Amino acid sequence: MLILGPFLMLGITIGAGYVGAASGANSSNVAVISSQSTLRKNFLKENSADIDKKVTDEKVATKKMKKDNLAGYIVLKADNKRVTAKYVGTTSLSSSMKTKVNSFLAQTQQQLNMSQAKLSTQQLQALQQQPKLTEHIQEKAGTANLGKIISFWITVIMVYMVLITYTSITAQEIASEKGTKVIEIIFSSTTALKYFLGKIFGVLLVILTQILVYLVGGWGAYIFAENSSLTKSFVNQYQSLINSVMHNLLSVNLVYLLLGVVIYTILAAFCGALVAKVEDASKAAQPVIMLNLVAFFVTFPFQNNVDSIVVKILSYVPFFSSYFMPLRLINNNASTMEIMISLLILLASIILLAMYIGKIYQGLMLQTDDSSFWKRFKRGLSYK
Amino acid sequence: MLKIDHISKQFGELQALKQVTFDVADGEILGLIGQNGAGKSTTFHSILNFLNYQGTISWNEKPITESVFDEIGYLPEERSLMPKLTIEQQIIYLARLKNKPAKEIRPVIDDWLKKFAVKGTKKDKIKDLSKGNQQKVQLICTLIHDPKLIILDEPFSGLDPVNSDLLKQAILDAKKRGAAIIFSSHDMENVEELCDKLVMLRNGKVVLHGTVQEVRDSFGKTRIYVTTDKTIDELAMLPHVVAAKPLEKRRFVLYLDEESSGKAIFDELTQGQYIEEFSQQAPTLNEIFRRKAGEKDE
Repeated sequence: MLILGPFLMLGITIGAGYVGAASGANSSNVAVISSQSTLRKNFLKENSADIDKKVTDEKVATKKMKKDNLAGYIVLKADNKRVTAKYVGTTSLSSSMKTKVNSFLAQTQQQLNMSQAKLSTQQLQALQQQPKLTEHIQEKAGTANLGKIISFWITVIMVYMVLITYTSITAQEIASEKGTKVIEIIFSSTTALKYFLGKIFGVLLVILTQILVYLVGGWGAYIFAENSSLTKSFVNQYQSLINSVMHNLLSVNLVYLLLGVVIYTILAAFCGALVAKVEDASKAAQPVIMLNLVAFFVTFPFQNNVDSIVVKILSYVPFFSSYFMPLRLINNNASTMEIMISLLILLASIILLAMYIGKIYQGLMLQTDDSSFWKRFKRGLSYK
Repeated sequence: MLKIDHISKQFGELQALKQVTFDVADGEILGLIGQNGAGKSTTFHSILNFLNYQGTISWNEKPITESVFDEIGYLPEERSLMPKLTIEQQIIYLARLKNKPAKEIRPVIDDWLKKFAVKGTKKDKIKDLSKGNQQKVQLICTLIHDPKLIILDEPFSGLDPVNSDLLKQAILDAKKRGAAIIFSSHDMENVEELCDKLVMLRNGKVVLHGTVQEVRDSFGKTRIYVTTDKTIDELAMLPHVVAAKPLEKRRFVLYLDEESSGKAIFDELTQGQYIEEFSQQAPTLNEIFRRKAGEKDE
């Protein structure tokens, strides 16, 4: 559920959107009616969206309007001199449809005028000349900047959400184990260190599975978007932006996310082990949640200032590096050596913290006195 | 054999255990008794290596470390299972921690559930079971891997007489197959019925140690159970009788100041005639417990 939840939410949102759009579509469509089939065909050839093509006469259109299945209908007429359109509807014609109708009428009228004027080919060509507007956008720089902004927000929000989820779950689970005293049976069967490391390893496997599922799901969604008629043009239009965001997300940033989850989970396990009652589990996760919150919010002011010394320092500090090194990476501000050093510090911190907490874990889990946080902390350290 | 040799444990200012020494041989049951806070659970936690302590504890002459965890079955004082698991999942999970493969455990689960008369099926969730059934499932988890050392902290608490009998039988079965068993209890009748030996702790110190009979006899046969037509006042007037209490109709218990006065009282009560009941006994464990618990430390 934890892994598939976001997919489920996305599915429900898309489904609801689709159903909403589908049910709304009928009542906002208009029909195009004309006694001259060529005229109608020409209109439908150029404008097929938001048109109910099945309706071909006014009687049917009126019936459908009464049932609220049609917004209205347009009657197209043309003689030798003039082309006209009349709209009858329950709501006024949408501005986009109005533009389409006007454009069609102007085009058809022009053709009519030109055939009436009996012009030579040269004169016709001269009249068909159109003004030209060319746009030149420095696409690379614009897309790259937007790509960085989008990548930054996706990364920090993703790291924050994942960390919050895993820290809360871990702290809660460990506190509830302590509350039920099942831990005494477990410690009579295996060492606390093994059990603790097993738990952290378990969380690591869950997050790995989650990342894998997201990668596969994301890839599937991208393929779908690339081929679906609904989103194809959007994907083509923003291809370079999408590539830039993908590049930033599918990089060493994922390693930082993974290791971030591990180090925060270890701390959450430690805090979970400090509570005396299962009801206090949510309180136990507070220090980790606060730390995560601080790291999350501290990134904001540095979004456009990655050269700051604060960013550089925090990109090496465990608990913060999972936010700050990706920030630097998105902005191409860190060398491979710097990334390696930061990762090594993070890894070493994880190993040392896991070994230390694993060592005192038994003491923390077996003491159940309901004193203050620091008293329990001190007592836990010296329990054995 | 479990050997506890002069272990002491201090929690801050509190001396939880003071030079506690006893042993439990294979196929032997030892009852650990004492008031709340006497040090029973601390003794168990020390055996299980949950705590650092002074002194030595060994199992078959080896220190108790991870290498012998598989041979231990432990039932903690507070009942604790994982509520979201089914009975089968819970039993298999804990058995696998004892290195018993699921394929060995799965086929015998039904037999164990039947043996302990657990209501429901192995697919039922722990949280849906009654308290008594949860306790029985936990006992199964403690015993299913055939441990050689069984540590039961208050195993009878919360069990009705029928379920107590089931547990007693399980304990006796484990004894028969050679397990060393140590359990704590406040119910002296169970201790008297099951235990080969007992140890009583008071404020972390051993105040009684020996076989049940030895312990009782050490207090002298200063109780006389008698069925007679005499009145309680007449009985209380007898020489060396400190007190007399009615038990049932015509049945009384007389408390003597010394064991040797029993014969004189017998002569006085029977006067060469038939008497329905005259039994001179040592104090019950309950009485001994009360007396020892009330004494002050030297």
